[in-house]
Amino acid sequence: MSAKHFGPPKTPCAPARKPSGFPLGWYRYRNYTIFAATCIPMAIAAVELIVGIRALGKGEAAWDAWLASLATGPMRALNIVCLLFAIYFAFRFGWVGRKIAAGRIGPVPKPPLPMPILGVAPLGGFATLWLILFIILGGFV
Amino acid sequence: MNFIHKLEPIWWMLFGGGGFVAGFFLPGLIISVLLLGPSDLMSTGLSYPRAHALASGPVGRIFLIAVISLVLWHCAHHLRHFTLDLFGHAAAPVAAYGAYALALLGTIATVSAVLAL
Repeated sequence: MSAKHFGPPKTPCAPARKPSGFPLGWYRYRNYTIFAATCIPMAIAAVELIVGIRALGKGEAAWDAWLASLATGPMRALNIVCLLFAIYFAFRFGWVGRKIAAGRIGPVPKPPLPMPILGVAPLGGFATLWLILFIILGGFV
Repeated sequence: MNFIHKLEPIWWMLFGGGGFVAGFFLPGLIISVLLLGPSDLMSTGLSYPRAHALASGPVGRIFLIAVISLVLWHCAHHLRHFTLDLFGHAAAPVAAYGAYALALLGTIATVSAVLAL
């Protein structure tokens, strides 16, 4: 939609309003709201990583101090919350991704596998990548 | 808001790319660095010389800039629309400019931190 379509509507109509029960009154609204809210803990985790890179650039003492700060109770709790939201995001992203098909003309064919099995593939791919990252960063290779 | 709407394909591209990158790498980074980083398990892997060598190589630099900045742009776009959902179109300019400004600041901070390695 181009920018010119965002002006006031030519036909008088009631202003847009939220659906009844939004954001937490119905399970589909709740799922949507939790998925949207994943942006906040994920951004916090990204900011923590930026702080870590800055510490890495300042030398060994700053890096060790940053790692030690991650071991405190509040930071552990914060990072567990960030992880739970990030995992929820990844799983829901993968679960929705199974329905994405390449653009085509004509009738949509049946999926090659049942939809729940198609959903497992991206989730398994994500988990494998997390494991590979853990092995590389941990120096286990 | 016209400026924001004209650039909508770019916001969507950053949002989509950030979503993929977040799904692929963010939980792994949170587990390996933020949660297990201080533990004995990662003491060799994330010792200063090794962590610095990993992060300051060309692959490490590109990886860090791409992952962190794209995740931030993804979060900014999601936050913009989450704010719209909660507070309506009156919040649109603040949500859009605020969220994207934060993502831009985060990107600048990421690039400068990585280049300083």
